[in-house]
Amino acid sequence: MSDLSAPGFPEEEVRRRARTGTAAAFPPPEEYGTVLFGADRDPHRCGGDPLDALRIVPPVFMPRRLARLIDLGREPDYRDVELTTVIGGFTSPLPVYVSALGSTRAASGDLGQALARQAGALGLPLVIGENVVPVEGYGRLGEAADRALLGRLRAYADALPDGRGGIAVQQSTEDADAEVWNLVYSDPAALPLLETGRLAFELKTGQGAKPGLGGMTVLDAGAAARLADRYGLDDVLGGGRVLRSSTPGTFTAEILRQQIRLMRNNYPRARVWVKLHPGRDVAEAARVAAEAGADAVTVDGAEGGTGWAPGAFPAQVGLPLAECLRRLAAAGPPPCLLVSGRMWEGGRAVKALALGARAVGLGRAALLAAAEDPEDGLTRLVECLALETRMLVSALGKYEPAALDRDDVWSPEFP
Amino acid sequence: MTTDGPASFAPIPETGRHLASATTRGALRIQGRLLSAAREFLRDEGFTELLPPIIGPVTDPGSRGSKQVDVDFYGHRYKLMTSAILYKQASLLAFDKIFCIAPNVRLEPLETAGTSRHLAEFHQLDVEVAGASRDDAVRLVERLVVHMVDSTVRDLPKEFAELGRDTGAFAELLKGSFGRMRHAEAVAELRDAGHPQSPDAELDWAGEALLSARRDRPFFVTDYPKGSRGFYDREHPEQPGLLRNFDLIAAEGYGELCSGSQRTNDYAEIVTRMRETGENPQKYRWYLDLVREGVPGSAGFGIGVERLTRYVAGLDAVWQASAFPKVAGVVSP
Repeated sequence: MSDLSAPGFPEEEVRRRARTGTAAAFPPPEEYGTVLFGADRDPHRCGGDPLDALRIVPPVFMPRRLARLIDLGREPDYRDVELTTVIGGFTSPLPVYVSALGSTRAASGDLGQALARQAGALGLPLVIGENVVPVEGYGRLGEAADRALLGRLRAYADALPDGRGGIAVQQSTEDADAEVWNLVYSDPAALPLLETGRLAFELKTGQGAKPGLGGMTVLDAGAAARLADRYGLDDVLGGGRVLRSSTPGTFTAEILRQQIRLMRNNYPRARVWVKLHPGRDVAEAARVAAEAGADAVTVDGAEGGTGWAPGAFPAQVGLPLAECLRRLAAAGPPPCLLVSGRMWEGGRAVKALALGARAVGLGRAALLAAAEDPEDGLTRLVECLALETRMLVSALGKYEPAALDRDDVWSPEFP
Repeated sequence: MTTDGPASFAPIPETGRHLASATTRGALRIQGRLLSAAREFLRDEGFTELLPPIIGPVTDPGSRGSKQVDVDFYGHRYKLMTSAILYKQASLLAFDKIFCIAPNVRLEPLETAGTSRHLAEFHQLDVEVAGASRDDAVRLVERLVVHMVDSTVRDLPKEFAELGRDTGAFAELLKGSFGRMRHAEAVAELRDAGHPQSPDAELDWAGEALLSARRDRPFFVTDYPKGSRGFYDREHPEQPGLLRNFDLIAAEGYGELCSGSQRTNDYAEIVTRMRETGENPQKYRWYLDLVREGVPGSAGFGIGVERLTRYVAGLDAVWQASAFPKVAGVVSP
């Protein structure tokens, strides 16, 4: 698992958080008293993309802090920030969920299980990505259950505290052939989640790493032969390796609207989530999804993606998350907007929340943290993120993420 | 056999006791008579009975939340039929009027174990007519059900008496005119009654039972919204978003007996509607190839045989209308 890497992502910072938890929110404590600190210490936190380029700008006068002071009868501090957030019908201890990790090799096997178990113990909502069932199986009739969807579902549910969290299961075109949603909806293992309102199905129109394309993985020739009847295979890589493509699926406004209605009709006890890629009509698509009754609309910015993508895509295709948020805000955002794309620390999360998101999704950061320490890596990363978020939100004179707004961020291009 | 108390929680008895019980015998005799009456009626109307396939590469996806059963067919993934719909349309290339009594398997959600009206394995009396409209199908099912119930009530008075079923309950039905209401009217009535029915979805089971309990004769609900049904129901040309379809719902709280519609037979429309229902057109290749070459426009319906038996025999639960009942999640022979 330690062979996992994420070039272009603040991998070492994430791994440090997975090892040391909340301490990683600060400079090394041993440097205290001997090093003088200032801005621009950390190149990852400014200038990366338009969202990173924003600054969080606390006011001097803070009437909400006064309200909290009156409420508490003492001066509030960052520990008084209440982070509990309802995300697409699920209650999360902080405005964070774990993004979809599908059949990609990086998220399979023990790592997928470790991630599911830690997310469950934390009570964080977890999205299980597409293509797991056609590739790894479901796990009910003899497939290796640890790799299969059922293994992740059980690892999560077994660790989950009462009243927290929930699982959202994606279904691609190829998953639809395997009837993943019907399978989960009628499975005894999913029943406790269903009965407590903690099961959702996520309709995916695309992803940030490769908007307009479907899921892609690399297979050796043997594995490819087994999947030839279900997926498009293309011998473009050489060296005995084959590109496996899932189709992205065809959407029009009417197709999206009717698919959501059908989900609500067929799975009345499950929540409905919709994931959009950062398309130029993202605001229109979000509106259609919300009007059709989606409980959450997720937007994956062009910065996102654990998935494997052709080089041209991450570098040149799709709107940056900040621009998606700007367009969504201008059009009137969906009631529960979730966003993902390079999330790993409190500053970027708080900026996304200030621009209208209800919660942010951890993708690569969650995987790297679990890879660094399968027992507690994600837990430590999330504890650090929660601490930073509390500090940042309280610095703005606010005590819940829902109170954040556009005035809390600034940049020369985005005044 | 338990015939009193809340049937939803009544356990299915051990197979031997179930088969030997007077209630089972009475119910199955009534079922047999209903089916022979249907055959008489449909043959007299010029229908040909076909034997339906049990497995195929693809089956009807349009069943609320239920899972299909995969079959390993010489290394190919086949399905047990959830309904005969695709084959019914195809069969019209041979005959203009067909029917079959088709076994269906649907792994229904576990919550249906308590509805008294769901079986994981059941039979449908499937009927399809080339060139027919939705309203033709509605009139046909009305006459068919009247004939089935009338014949059975006249021929089996002893069975009804033993089951304690008062055949006076069919007085309105036998007059031959069932009620009709549009889906939007059903939604409005349910909401007036304080039931939170979604206007975009099928009537939920509780809502359907509520409407059914308020009526003394079966009634049709027509014009369901798109997004609540399979891709094969034809959309109203003048009212986009509404489908030319119907359900037949029994009186006295017994709920849905039959679903039907005028079918879409336009290739491009079917492919688009498949996407709207989240289906992958690729797997329907044989069906789409046929449609592309041309299948007749048609209308048809499927009557749930065990559900109709339950209603006519006045049984608490639909599993009582099956010799070997399969209820969601319950392991049984």
